[in-house]
This record gives sequence, structure tokens and C-alpha cells, in this order.
Amino acid sequence: MIQFAGVSKSYDTDVVLKDITFTIDKGEFAYITGPSGVGKTTLLKLVYCAERPDEGAIVVAGWDLKKIKQGTIPYLRRNVGIVFQDFRLLPNKTVFDNVALALRIHDMHPQEIKEHVGEVLKEVRLKHKENILPQHLSGGEQQRVVIARAMVSKPTVFLADEPTGNLDVETSRTIMNLFRQINTRGTTVLIATHSEALYHGTGRRVLFLRDAQIEKEIVG
Amino acid sequence: MRIFLFAAETALKSVWHEKWINLLTVLSISIGLLIISAFVTITQNLDSVLKRWSKDFGLVVYLKDGLTSGEESTLRDYFMHDTDVISVKYVSREQAFEELRQTMGEQSSVLEGFESNPLPPSFELTLKSELLTPSNVERKASEIQHLNGVDEVQYGEKWLSSLSTLANIMKVVAVFLGGAIYIAIAFITYSTIKIFFYRRKDEIETLKLLGATRTFIRLPFILEGLFIGVLAGVVSSLGLFGTYSLLLNKISAFLPSISIVMVPLPLRAYIPAPLAGALMSFLGSFVAVGTIRY
Repeated sequence: MIQFAGVSKSYDTDVVLKDITFTIDKGEFAYITGPSGVGKTTLLKLVYCAERPDEGAIVVAGWDLKKIKQGTIPYLRRNVGIVFQDFRLLPNKTVFDNVALALRIHDMHPQEIKEHVGEVLKEVRLKHKENILPQHLSGGEQQRVVIARAMVSKPTVFLADEPTGNLDVETSRTIMNLFRQINTRGTTVLIATHSEALYHGTGRRVLFLRDAQIEKEIVG
Repeated sequence: MRIFLFAAETALKSVWHEKWINLLTVLSISIGLLIISAFVTITQNLDSVLKRWSKDFGLVVYLKDGLTSGEESTLRDYFMHDTDVISVKYVSREQAFEELRQTMGEQSSVLEGFESNPLPPSFELTLKSELLTPSNVERKASEIQHLNGVDEVQYGEKWLSSLSTLANIMKVVAVFLGGAIYIAIAFITYSTIKIFFYRRKDEIETLKLLGATRTFIRLPFILEGLFIGVLAGVVSSLGLFGTYSLLLNKISAFLPSISIVMVPLPLRAYIPAPLAGALMSFLGSFVAVGTIRY
């Protein structure tokens, strides 16, 4: 589902990723880890085409990102659900509208949008807060809105960048349970985290990034 | 279609949300449109004055002394068969004297000093309205001047020339001023939409990451520009209607004959401003949103 072959990426003279090669299979749940600033976010950005590699080939959900045209990128991104580190919720839109936005982009019928968003908000246990603006929610609730927005369009690939960064243990557990739920539906999940607690004992594949390269692969 | 409706809804919300900056934009554009409308209205009124005046416009052909009635008849026949002339009126020496006496009113006693009638007989010719340009009338007058028995040809050459020149100047000014104002309108909308675009940069970035197409992102901004333009056009049309009606009422109170010059504007006179405002604002906002890169 996600293939990197000899991918390198630099910002000016700063080499962030060098000759990265790995494959994440369809339906797999994997982690990418390493110290802060090692290039985890850049690697995820390469997956959803927010960055372009200097060298190497990337294939995501059948799209060859080397050949992808500007006008086609939106259609790739509709297949990729993203949980951003900084949430990226729209402050002037309610919880419902933030989640619904992902479906409006898909040009879905308003009635269908209402049903889908309602279901997803129930799953993340935020149905009762659908008319509230994001800034009135706690960090954990905001994170659940972001997850709801990422999963509502039923993407084939799900990416999360430090999804439990500022959350307490209990909320982190809830968030991780949601990711597992998403994965059981057959969605490929790739989570970038620096927290060992998140992958330890999960039995999932973990890729270690160090000095711009994949240092090792372990089972968490 | 759903994307269009969603974009329209988003644009209308933004028009309301950013009401103060939008109000300023609408007022600026409507003032520009009002200036254009005022120029066009003045030019149209001037044209209508020219047309009305030209209905009565004529050449006065003074005849030489001592023409026989046969010679006068020959000239009358010539004018009657001239396709450029739509009416011919013969004014005898006596009629001319009587008209002069009436025109002079109380001062007509000075005419009593004349032993004989000094005025020549004449023909008053009305020309076709399409001929009423200074060069055409001059050509016609010169042609008649060369006829046998014609002493002098007079017409309001200075008036005709001045009015015609004024109307032409007004048309040129309206075109240049209109062009400049239309470009200014596009720039005003461009700036406003550009500000909105930068203000919502984060939102646009999020939309891009969620898989929104360029059309989905750009359409609300373009529609917002369009709404601003239409709104400004409507405001300017209302302004034109109000100002014109007020002027017409106020002036006609002490100058009733103004209604000959200032005719009530037809409904179609109020349509171009909203259309032009919408078109220029559409262009301005279209350029403002530019190319979106992923």
C-alpha cells in the first residue's frame, strides 16, 4: 500500500531522509519512530505529497508519486486520512462542519453527509458536542474530531503524526483504540511517534529512523 | 452543482462575516459605477437634446432682391425634390417683417423708421436628422449658396458645432474615464479578495490536505467577488435613481422646461451598472485567487 524505494529528501544542505526503502502492506498497522527532528513528519508528508522526494520512488495506494500531476494530488489525498500533529481544525466551523468538510470535498449529498458524520461522531463519542466550536473542546476531544474527520471518508491509508503528543495516558489509550478500530476495517495505518509507550507490546512493526536513515525494524 | 451551492453558501457567509471591509469595497465600487453612470446619463441627455433640437433645425435661404415669382417657384421646386430636405417653408418679405415686429415686442417702434421693408424673402428648410453634423450641414449650405437667386444661407453653425463637439468630448471622456474606473473596480476587488485569501491561508492549506480541488477552493472567493460587484452595482443604480429623481424634481420646480432636456431614465439604464460591476469584480477576484499549487 505504501512503498518507498531509495527515497532521499534534503532541505538546502540539511539531509533529512537518505535512501529510505520500506513497504507497508495493505491492511498493515505500523509505526515509524525516532527522536524529535529525525524526519518522521517529512516521511509522512512524502506519503501525502505535501513534499516531493529529491531522489527515489514512492507508490501510495497505487499512485506513483513521481509521475503524479498537480491536478491529481487532491484525488490521492482523498484516499489518505491524516491526523495532523497541529490538528488543523477550522476554528470558525463546528465539530460537525469540520468533519463534514471532508465529505463536502467528495461532493457527497447533504443527507448522506449528515448520516456519515453522525455515525463517525458516535464512534469517537463526540455526537453530543457536534455543534460546538473546536476551541471549546479539550485537547483529547479535538484529537478525536481530527480522527473523525480523517476516517469519515473511509480512506485506504491512515496516517497519524504524533497523535498522542500532549495527551494523558487514558486519552492516549482511547485514541489508540480508535486507530485499531480503523485498522480492523482493512485500512492501512502508519503512525509516527517518538513515544515508545505507544508501540511497546503491540506486536506491530516499528521502523526506527536515525541519522536520516532507517536504522532498524522491530516488532513492538 | 452541490459544490457550487456550497461555494455560494460559503461566499455569502464570508460577505456577512467580513461585512466592514466588504461594505467599504461595495461603496468604493458603487461610487466608481455611479460616476460612469452619471457620465453616460449626461451624454445620453446631450444626445437627446441634439436630436430634439435637430427636429427644428433648419437652413434659412435668403433670396436676392427682385426675383420673379417664377424664379422663386423654381427654387421651391428644387428644394421640394431635394431628398435631404424634409420640409420647405416660404417666408415672404411681409411675413418676415411681421415676425420681426412680434419678436421685438415693445421695441418694435424702431421699425417704424424704415421707409420700406428691408427684409428679403426666404426659404426655411428642415434637413434630415442624420445629416445634422457640422460638416454635412456646411456642405449642404455651400451647395445651396451656389444656386441662382440665392443671396445668403444661414444656419446655427456655431451652436451645431459646439453641441456636437461637446457630445463627442463627453463620449470620449466617458469611454476613457469608464475604462479607468472599470480597471480600478477590478483592482479594488482584487485587493479585497487577496486579503481574504491570505487571511484564510491556513484554512486553504487544510482544504488542500483534505483533498479539495482547485475549483472547490477558489470558487467561494470568486463568487464572493461576484456578489460584491453585483451588490455595488445595485447600490450605484439606486444612487443614480435617487440622485437623478431628486435633481429632476428640484430643478423642474424653478425651471419647468428642464423636463425637455432631462427625460426620466428608462429601466434599462439601471441594468448596465450591476452587470459591469459584477463582470469587473469577477475578473478581479478570479485573478486574485491565482493558481493553487499542491
